[in-house]
Amino acid sequence: MYETDLNPRQSRIDWLMIAGLLGLMVYGLLFIYSAKSVEQTASILQQYRDLNLWQFARWLFGQDYFKQLIWYAGGIGMAVAVCFVDYRILARWSMVGYWATIILLVFVMFFGSTKGWGARRWIDLGFMSVQPSEFAKIAFIVALAHFLSRPNEELRTPKIFWQAIGLIALPFLLILKEPDLGSALMFLPVGLAMMFVGGVPKRYIGMLVGSGAVVAGLLIMDILFSDLLPKPLRIELEPYQKRRLLVYFNRDFAPPNATEAERRRAREEERKYSYNIDQALISVGSGGFTGKGWCQGTQNALGFLPRGVAHNDFIFSVVAEESGFVGSVIVIMLYTVVLFTGIRIASQARDRLGKLMAVGVVALFFSQVFVNIGMNIRIMPVTGVPLPLLSYGGSSVLCSLIAAGIMQNVYVYRKSY
Amino acid sequence: MLIFDQLKKSDPPLRLLSICVLAGVGILIAGLWYVQIVSYQRYEESLRTQSLRTVRLPGVRGKILDRNGNVLAENRPGYNVNVYLEELRPYFQSEYLEAKKRLKAKTLAERTTAGKVARYTVVSNLVYSVGGVVRVPLTLQDTNFHKHFNERIWLPLPVMQNLAPEQVARFAESAANLPGVDLEVQSVRYYPHKTTAAHILGYLTAYEPSEDEEELRYNYRLPEFQGKVGVEATFDEELRGSPGAKNMLVNNLGYRQSESLIEPAQPGRNIVLTIDLEVQKAAEKALAGAKADAHGAVVVLDVNTGDIIALASAPTFDPNVFVPRITPDEYSKLNDPATKPMFNRASFGVYQPGSIFKIVVGLAALERGTLRPHDKFTSTGYYQLTPRSRPINDTAPAGIYDFERAFYLSSNSYFIEHGLRSGLDSILAMGKRFCLGEKTGIPTRQDLAGYFAEPGTDRKYLGGPWLAGDTANLCIGQGEIMVTPLQMAVMTAAVANGGKVLRPRLVDRLEPADPYSGEAVIRLPPAEVRSELGVSPRNLQIVRDAMLADVEHSDGSGRPAHVDGFRVCGKTGTAENKIGNTLQHKTTWFASYGPYEKPRYAVLVMVERGVSGGKTCAPVAKKIYEALVAMEKRPPGQPILATMQR
Repeated sequence: MYETDLNPRQSRIDWLMIAGLLGLMVYGLLFIYSAKSVEQTASILQQYRDLNLWQFARWLFGQDYFKQLIWYAGGIGMAVAVCFVDYRILARWSMVGYWATIILLVFVMFFGSTKGWGARRWIDLGFMSVQPSEFAKIAFIVALAHFLSRPNEELRTPKIFWQAIGLIALPFLLILKEPDLGSALMFLPVGLAMMFVGGVPKRYIGMLVGSGAVVAGLLIMDILFSDLLPKPLRIELEPYQKRRLLVYFNRDFAPPNATEAERRRAREEERKYSYNIDQALISVGSGGFTGKGWCQGTQNALGFLPRGVAHNDFIFSVVAEESGFVGSVIVIMLYTVVLFTGIRIASQARDRLGKLMAVGVVALFFSQVFVNIGMNIRIMPVTGVPLPLLSYGGSSVLCSLIAAGIMQNVYVYRKSY
Repeated sequence: MLIFDQLKKSDPPLRLLSICVLAGVGILIAGLWYVQIVSYQRYEESLRTQSLRTVRLPGVRGKILDRNGNVLAENRPGYNVNVYLEELRPYFQSEYLEAKKRLKAKTLAERTTAGKVARYTVVSNLVYSVGGVVRVPLTLQDTNFHKHFNERIWLPLPVMQNLAPEQVARFAESAANLPGVDLEVQSVRYYPHKTTAAHILGYLTAYEPSEDEEELRYNYRLPEFQGKVGVEATFDEELRGSPGAKNMLVNNLGYRQSESLIEPAQPGRNIVLTIDLEVQKAAEKALAGAKADAHGAVVVLDVNTGDIIALASAPTFDPNVFVPRITPDEYSKLNDPATKPMFNRASFGVYQPGSIFKIVVGLAALERGTLRPHDKFTSTGYYQLTPRSRPINDTAPAGIYDFERAFYLSSNSYFIEHGLRSGLDSILAMGKRFCLGEKTGIPTRQDLAGYFAEPGTDRKYLGGPWLAGDTANLCIGQGEIMVTPLQMAVMTAAVANGGKVLRPRLVDRLEPADPYSGEAVIRLPPAEVRSELGVSPRNLQIVRDAMLADVEHSDGSGRPAHVDGFRVCGKTGTAENKIGNTLQHKTTWFASYGPYEKPRYAVLVMVERGVSGGKTCAPVAKKIYEALVAMEKRPPGQPILATMQR
């Protein structure tokens, strides 16, 4: 029934990007299935034979790969829905969306569910847990694009610049407080890329990058040489964040003047904290060139790669162990296709708004891919950043597909008729 | 490529963004290349270290058989009860939840304790139930359990070892509903004839791993045994075969997940001895019946091949008590210094030979020409070297002696007189030709050389000048001489076979465990001729005739060894062990061979603290000859099936 509507526009859809996205979704299904296959007692065919339809459906809905399939379907539906409304009309509602997610983030601070992880990041709806920070990223991209799509003269005024900074800082600080450092940090490169492409003067950008570098420097100084820094310059991190960074920099947990017992305890703790990343590295490394084959990885099956993270934050370890260097590169190539088609869409956009929306999504995807895969091979510290479309998780999948829909929207409406 | 077009577009910010993305992708691919290609070996190694445990599997130990294929040592299935911890995990979990509640565990340390308590409770209850099933009170030591859990969680926990058949039956009947408990079959060494040939076979002890590099690749070795003495020790390597290995895949908690055999163990070879089981049994029985609580030794040799047909030492022991583990009680019994049951008196005991040495002295004097066998010698019933010296007693009465009469009545005076006439060096040289003072080379690790002086010597073994009295003593096999019964058997065999001193053979061949494997049977070479006596056949015949007379003459000291229809030749000996001038006890001997016409067997009997060679030892030899006669009548190559006694 939609076909008559869609047909005239069909030729204007970026099929290459859609192929890339579909490829990633196929990967996601395959390896979430593999990551969870150990816990499975019976195969799907066996269950179909043994159970009646109702029981079978109930069983199927309990399977993570099937749930992921439903998220994919829902996400594709939402992406198509997004394409029906011109992005310029969407942008008019952007501030409403932005403030709605801010309210959700405040709500989650007080009433959020911890899911047993210690951080309040989720709103429990019963049938699914919503992670508002994911939706905040999308709302933020649209809102900032809307905010920055104004005449160049206005962009040069400090007031606009500081307002833009405020737009970035608000969700950043709220998410940092959850605490979810990884998700919070995603706002910075996205905001920076959008301001840069949007035409904010170079000196402001330079100032931004410079102050970012100073903060990062202080952070590293604080972690590596905490005693040398005067108190007011110290940045107070959550203890677990500090430990993750210590692991990343391969530093001793024990202070230099620790006793033997303290040192031993610190080493014990260090092992505990570096456990995930060590096991992820063993998974990736032992995959070798061609991998061990689908569902043949032992790291996940034997539980060395913790079951709680193997299918979401560390899904790439499973991919790399079972499909090897070849499979890892194919995944990266699929992301590259999506990213570059995104940049192409940005370059062909009819206005700055569309261009900035596409750039924001590209920057978000890229940051997440880089941080997540980087974490698996230890070039980035451990943070809870999902791998778009591959990691298990409803919020992440829905938002990734909505974001892809936004890019397609910009492509679809690149010309006025 | 189409999608990289924007790199060329004149939109500098977008181009910079493209370059950043491309650089990021490049970094990721380079990082993956480094981790997955360059460092592959290292991570693969880590993976193996953390998830694989290699267990060494011992090969099945080869059998030891007698010359007819009767089993002397084999393996029986030993049944052990094991608890497989990985199957108890659900029970650990539910018990843990209860323990946590009960102990109100909050902190990590408290919860760890609750977990430990829970696991111990589960396993200890299970062990108690197993005890109920097999009707033996069983308890689990918590320190042992925690040690096993911490160090070898992936291995089954041994609960009870070596179940009796009725316990196996009870277990099989009712243990099916006990979770995680199972029977494990282990190969256990078994000696079906118990004490028979124990000194030849030896015994086993737990194998202690060497610190070889090669051994480091195992995380665990299943219990294995190694021979300590006897053929079990000397041929340990052949018997043990080659070990195999299996890999166990363990999960992150260390529990066993699955296992795979990477190399099957190869069984050891079977060893076929020269022993004849029936003769061996007869020899042991006869020796034990020589006197009450007899201590002594018997050697039966094939005089032509050097094969040891039987070799017995009394008292004896049951090597079965060593496997799987010897009890402290048994151990102290076997190490009683008064009886020394594990001590092989036949090859490891040294004694004074007494009159059986007169065979050597007689041959030496005959060869020297100083003794003419028919010359008459008048004995006074004692021998006085010089008018002032102490007279040497003679058990033979005073009277007129020629060689044969002196031999069968064992006249000391006659042999001292002719020994002295022949000279010390001629006796020592003749003794050397019999290889006295040298090890016989029996492969049981219990082999002593004894003591026999070199020709030309002028010092005694313990120092002091060699006097004429020492020579006189040597002529009757006392004083400066120590021999093993096996050496005396070899000596007797040399007289019987015409002058060849042989190295006794104990092992005939090594056979593959599987006769159809196509592996070759390794035959050990025929007995080495260590020395040729080189005496004239006429003189040898004089000694042989005298030995025949010792048994056949009505006055012969060896008369009790007479066997109807089988002409035994022999020489009795009774060595006196004195401290100062007081007689402590006598070592009694009977050295013999037969039949006279065409000698085939040498039988040597030695009994400690006997009455005399003729009275104590000759009857033992008689029984053994009867067994040998019976052996010859048996159709060849028909093994008497081993009676499995349990």
